[in-house]
Amino acid sequence: MRRALLLVVLSCMCCMGWSVAARAEGTPIGTVKTVTGEASVTTAGVRVAAAVGTPVFQGSVLQTGRQSSMGVTFKDETVMSFGADTSFTVDEYLYAPAQGKLRLSSKLTRGSLNYISGVIARLKPDAVTVTTPSGAIGVRGTQFLVKVEE
Amino acid sequence: MTGRAPERCAGAARLPWFALLLGLMLGITGCSSTPKSYVVLLPSPDGSVGKVIVSGAQGEQVLDQAGQTAALDGRAARTPPSQAQIDSDFASTIAARPRLPVHYLVYFSTGTTLTAESMALIPEILAEARSRASVDISVIGHTDTVQTADYNEQLALGRASAVVELLKVRGLTADSVAIESHGEHNLLIATPDNVYEPRNRRVEISIR
Repeated sequence: MRRALLLVVLSCMCCMGWSVAARAEGTPIGTVKTVTGEASVTTAGVRVAAAVGTPVFQGSVLQTGRQSSMGVTFKDETVMSFGADTSFTVDEYLYAPAQGKLRLSSKLTRGSLNYISGVIARLKPDAVTVTTPSGAIGVRGTQFLVKVEE
Repeated sequence: MTGRAPERCAGAARLPWFALLLGLMLGITGCSSTPKSYVVLLPSPDGSVGKVIVSGAQGEQVLDQAGQTAALDGRAARTPPSQAQIDSDFASTIAARPRLPVHYLVYFSTGTTLTAESMALIPEILAEARSRASVDISVIGHTDTVQTADYNEQLALGRASAVVELLKVRGLTADSVAIESHGEHNLLIATPDNVYEPRNRRVEISIR
């Protein structure tokens, strides 16, 4: 009896933990707005073909194939687009201006990016970073292009 | 040889002359060749120019002029990429750029009732949303400082919800709609408490 109760309690806790994790991941931080050719969004190991309207989450890996491209607009109105053969990861995305929680840290492993600042960069100038295999880019509210060639 | 001397051609001074010559012939000394991994600073869509700071193993570069470039390893490029090179490297990247977000402000006569001018703006807002393949909307309600902060928190939420309802009734479809209330905490026109100010009685609509 006691063991059964323990099992119920444990499974409840497990469920709660699961749903919390699912919710944290379940809030999109951006949306795919343009796609040409082959592009994908991989979140928590699950890869989906990118189409207009595909949601992007914290931790998502955005990839494009040969002669392909993709554009994404984030909740804070940061606008990004990617050229061919690109791999880009949104490592951390925090957008809660009322609590002062602002962060956009990302990784461009290969390919190209066109970045246009949104509210995060405007409210907190040192909150946006793009790291690449050879160096890191700190962003102070602007637009830039970056290309990583291995 | 490390870090903060981007002007120097790091490493090259140590190499024997024949290695340099060979390097120059093959275009692989790094210092003299055009960087393959690089950043280009562009003006923002509003015309302003911000700043990017690139830091890597070869140093740190600060870009603050439109069109400036830097190698991603932080060295100063003696021969920056040509405009033709930049155009060809980024043509498809730039072409994939999503449409920029647009913003509207609508105002209220009493409670959650829009002014006639703002009502007349609704078709334009709907047309903008319809013209996009994928629509995310954020709607933020505000009040002036008449009444208590708690009351205004609810009133601002009511205003934002009323605007969303109106847009939906008129046929708006969106991938996501986020409704927020800033109550009396985010005044457009700064006033003391308990001041009637029509310009603060508003809802911001962002379409992205």
